[in-house]
Amino acid sequence: MTDVSLRSLTKTFGGPPAVDQVSLDIRDGEFVSLLGPSGCGKTTTLKLVAGFEMADAGSIEFDGEDVSQLPAEKRDIGMVFQNYALFPHLTVAQNLAFGLEMRNTPRAEIARRVSQAMDTVQLVGLGERYPRQLSGGQQQRVALARALVIEPRILLLDEPLANLDARLRDEMRDFIRELQRRVGITTIYVTHDQAEALTMSDRVVVMFAGKVAQAGVPRDIYERPVSRAVAEFVGRVNLLPATVLETSNDTCRFQTFLGQVVVHQAASAAVGQSVDVALRPESISLLAATDSVGVAKVISASYGGGLIDYRVEVAPGQTLHVQAFPATRFAVGDAVRMEIRPESYWLLGKTA
Amino acid sequence: MNPGRRRVSAPMLLLLPALVVLTLFLLVPYLNIFVMSFRMPGQGVPYAEGWTFGNYGKFFSDWFFIGQLVNTLWIGAVTTLACLLIGYPVALQLARGSERLRALRYGIVLTPLLVGIVIRSYGWTIILGNNGIINRTLTGWGLIDGPLPLMYNGLGIIIALTHVLLPFMILPVMSAIQGIDPAVELAARSLGAGRSTVFRRVTLPLSLPGVQSGCILVFILSVSAYVTPALIGGLRVKTVAVSVVDALIDSFQWPFGSALALILSVVGGVCVLAFARMTRMRWAVRR
Repeated sequence: MTDVSLRSLTKTFGGPPAVDQVSLDIRDGEFVSLLGPSGCGKTTTLKLVAGFEMADAGSIEFDGEDVSQLPAEKRDIGMVFQNYALFPHLTVAQNLAFGLEMRNTPRAEIARRVSQAMDTVQLVGLGERYPRQLSGGQQQRVALARALVIEPRILLLDEPLANLDARLRDEMRDFIRELQRRVGITTIYVTHDQAEALTMSDRVVVMFAGKVAQAGVPRDIYERPVSRAVAEFVGRVNLLPATVLETSNDTCRFQTFLGQVVVHQAASAAVGQSVDVALRPESISLLAATDSVGVAKVISASYGGGLIDYRVEVAPGQTLHVQAFPATRFAVGDAVRMEIRPESYWLLGKTA
Repeated sequence: MNPGRRRVSAPMLLLLPALVVLTLFLLVPYLNIFVMSFRMPGQGVPYAEGWTFGNYGKFFSDWFFIGQLVNTLWIGAVTTLACLLIGYPVALQLARGSERLRALRYGIVLTPLLVGIVIRSYGWTIILGNNGIINRTLTGWGLIDGPLPLMYNGLGIIIALTHVLLPFMILPVMSAIQGIDPAVELAARSLGAGRSTVFRRVTLPLSLPGVQSGCILVFILSVSAYVTPALIGGLRVKTVAVSVVDALIDSFQWPFGSALALILSVVGGVCVLAFARMTRMRWAVRR
């Protein structure tokens, strides 16, 4: 279907650029999330792709064709809005038919495709309802169907799950992802929810202050973030102050308060320099201390359902955050031993 | 004292001041008018002893009065239409135009309301009269031989009422347009609708609840208007409201004046209800 390329896209609304030199290539059928805090430029980027805003500089290409100057109505996009933006004065069926009418599709064809779309999003029988008569989840599915029924070149979703309650959100997350795979449509998904971005996407683009901080597959974004900001945005992280002891082409050795640590990563720091080594809380396993070697003390524990959050103190002032399954439980004051797989450590870039 | 009881009665208490005012100054006078409309007309006194349906009979047996009622409703309808055609673009501009000078433009729409209706209507007599600005200018330029009939007719009343009542159309329409979620219009564009199609298929239909209230307001106000028709229509064209005052004050016929007033209210009310029913928007009905 459609490859999308953003080339040095820039947009300023007075003040610092909302979108600053964003470049991105999205393959046909790929599901890409733009992830970042509010005001990071992810929604503006989406609006530029949609054609609701025009870029100050840079270009947008669909399959190599420059669409930067086309208004939204000529770009052949499907868009799902955070608040659904259904037409309140039209029934569900009329909402779905709108885009087809704009394309002068014959009546019979419209009827056939609308009913097929209603089937796809499990809304059969609700065609004559008005949007206000539907639940949030149903409205969401109408919005999806309305965007997809026109068989657009690309699908754009702007925080589509933000207004749903937690249970429905998980359900819709799977539904959207499954539908996107089935249709095979190139998709850009804007969210500030890292769990959403990581579970749904083929690729995640983390944005801060209008710039792309990191783009990569979810696993790289989570396990190998390039900076402290990315690491902290996509999950909790322990940062160990470390000193570089030894570097080679693909490994570095550091001294930390957990002892010596080896990271299999090209060195970006010189021997003797101080850096941050990162460690995710769930890559630390806690065991009951059998002797007093390498012992830490639990200083807080909070139950979170599937996981328990611990804070453990290795030495005064040196604490680590640990997430563990509740199978073995420790109480505040317990002495514990930590087990950390060596590949869990990684070195953060200096841009942090 | 009892919290449960206070919770129930609090909303009713909130209504109380309005209820008192409405009862004293609307319901009681209306009842009074209703009773008065069945009294016997008097000679030299407002009304005489005894009861009759004759006041209503007098109205419905005389084409003059029926014609006057039809003319009043016609003036109301045309004024409403004129306010809609002139007011809608203004409302759209106010709601969607640039932020710059919005307060000023808003003020320009509202300032006529600060000037008394008598003064504004009198102003129109200066503009529209046979010796008024328009006729003198056109005669002076040699464009017309005699004065155009702009006053003492329905046209003059409609022009002046349209000016006086315009804000009552603009304000509800503007607030309806402002209430439209901009994302809905963006959604229409994403589906392939150009600017004019977005307006025709989305903005306009979604502003109709405001149009409906604006039309009802302007229609009621123009049908019941007294000062403007009295000043512009003079003795030549009378609306029902003017005749009501004539009957009550000049010819001292309280029972007939009351009957006239009630007939106007009921017929006007029926028109409004019919209009509201015809323009009922199923999608906008609250649960």
